[in-house]
Amino acid sequence: MGLIVVLLFAWMLVIAFLAFVACTFEDLESDIGSQSNPNSQVQLAAQVGQVHRFFNKAISGEPLSNALYCATAGTITWMLLQKLEPFVPDAPWKAAVLAIPVGVLGAAMVHLIFSTTAHCGRTVAQKRFEQPLYLDVLYGHLLPIATHGYMTTFCITTIAYIQSNLGTLSGNPALNHPFALPMLGFIWGITVGSIGSSTGDVHYGTEREFQDRPFGEGKRVIYHGKITRYAECGIRTQRDIAGFCAKFGGPVTGMTFGLIILFENWRNMVGMVLAGFLPDLPAFTPTGDMTAVISIVAGLLIIAALALGNLTFVRWVRKRCGPFVGE
Amino acid sequence: MTVTPAAVEEEAPAEKKLDFSFPPGETELGIIAGIISAVVVTLAALPAVIKGAALIFAILWGMDSVRKTSKYGLGTGVPSIGVLAIGYGVIGTLMGLALAEYGRAGQFYPGVLVGVLVMGGIGLISGIMSNHEKLVAMKIPHLERAMMELGMTGTLIILLECSIVTGSLNFGAVLEDVIETGVIALMFIFSAFAIFHPYNACLGPDERRERTRMVAVEIGGLICILLGFAQIVIGTSPYGILDGVSLVVFGAVIWIVFFRMFIRACFKEAYATVGTGLIKTLG
Repeated sequence: MGLIVVLLFAWMLVIAFLAFVACTFEDLESDIGSQSNPNSQVQLAAQVGQVHRFFNKAISGEPLSNALYCATAGTITWMLLQKLEPFVPDAPWKAAVLAIPVGVLGAAMVHLIFSTTAHCGRTVAQKRFEQPLYLDVLYGHLLPIATHGYMTTFCITTIAYIQSNLGTLSGNPALNHPFALPMLGFIWGITVGSIGSSTGDVHYGTEREFQDRPFGEGKRVIYHGKITRYAECGIRTQRDIAGFCAKFGGPVTGMTFGLIILFENWRNMVGMVLAGFLPDLPAFTPTGDMTAVISIVAGLLIIAALALGNLTFVRWVRKRCGPFVGE
Repeated sequence: MTVTPAAVEEEAPAEKKLDFSFPPGETELGIIAGIISAVVVTLAALPAVIKGAALIFAILWGMDSVRKTSKYGLGTGVPSIGVLAIGYGVIGTLMGLALAEYGRAGQFYPGVLVGVLVMGGIGLISGIMSNHEKLVAMKIPHLERAMMELGMTGTLIILLECSIVTGSLNFGAVLEDVIETGVIALMFIFSAFAIFHPYNACLGPDERRERTRMVAVEIGGLICILLGFAQIVIGTSPYGILDGVSLVVFGAVIWIVFFRMFIRACFKEAYATVGTGLIKTLG
């Protein structure tokens, strides 16, 4: 009993840490490729006459594209595990040491292919606005995109592997996740993309591209596209945006995702331990109901604490950094 | 993330010699692809390569439908349309497989086409409802036809992929080999990308249908490679390992040919393809 709880808690912390790393790199990867929200600027730029040297990674929205990489990595990993696990029947984790990196490598190649078609296709479709296809922009951004994407997909696939084998790893096989590895990768991919898109883009835009505007000012359409052209020194590309956002935007996005995973799993753990759900897992009994009730109450308490903390923080920031424009 | 071009114009008549122009019209393509994939999907005993070729035709048709739907101002909705089509497809596939035993003769399953037709009907109804003045009133031209085609093509794509991986159209086999193993996640997201990514990637005022179609075929090749490996691992094909290997080789050849063709077309048709250069200074 005691060992299982400790092991479950340890694996929960590992998953939360991996989620932090995954979402940090997801945000930086989308900044390099100008995917999602800031991509509107890259799209509009050439159409309002602002020819630029940005990479146009219009694969799709971030949730879907991350689901693609993670589902691909999960499927390749699953196929390799099916073939490799019989060679090491005593220690199946040895198969995962080879299968996960190779599977993620396959996903990274798919990522590169889709990035290339998106950039070339979109740039050529802007022909009448005299936007040339710069080959150094194309080649120079592919490697950073692939490496950052590799980190994200690697962490997510590892989380999916841990989850689908959680019971085996912590000593009670009944705790294994009912979903298969590719399905878990798919769901986690959508999640990591959504958080990266909703949290990360705000920091990308405000920190990097709108930093010469007063705090809280709206952006007129006439300025759209202008932000893609010049940096502090020379012509702007997205490689310096990644370096800039790695200082704050990326880690903040990662922290958002990591905290979501941590709180979500922690409240479940608390419910299980307090109600005595472990190690027999008596579902559909008063013990099981009690577990759910404690978990839900703990979740509501966490939400209340976060809301209160946010309100206090925003009030303090407004007082400290002066009024918003238009207030 | 995507922004609609300010004025979407009709395609200019192609002046240059086209690298890839088969077959010319959207309607012709729909009929040809629909017939080929519908015939292949009912014959579950065919080798995987033939199913892969039919899958590429179905993807081309799906890409055309997405393009037709999204061309009239749904700039931000391109990925959603593709996912919607494959969502129709998964439901239609389950329905078709449930009815597959009816009218079955050996390895010939005409019953699965009921799923395709029903999803076509549901797509048509949702298209009519979306455009109807008293209901949603979106007033998008050709939406009814495009939604019907999306339902049909999505179902055909997922049915063909299930048929490739399991080598049959048995409901139990599909449940065991495709859904419980999680391969359905790969099928869902990759098929959705195959039909929406081409138009999403080539979106812009100078988009050209032939160029966009090369991307669709290229992603079809990628799907063939991955499904070939999945079939080898699951090992259900009546033709043994050769079936999967031939599908992988077929997919790799298709991918190489069409990826090169697309990149060359882009380099040729861009305003200018330069190694490096400064941006145009504005007055």
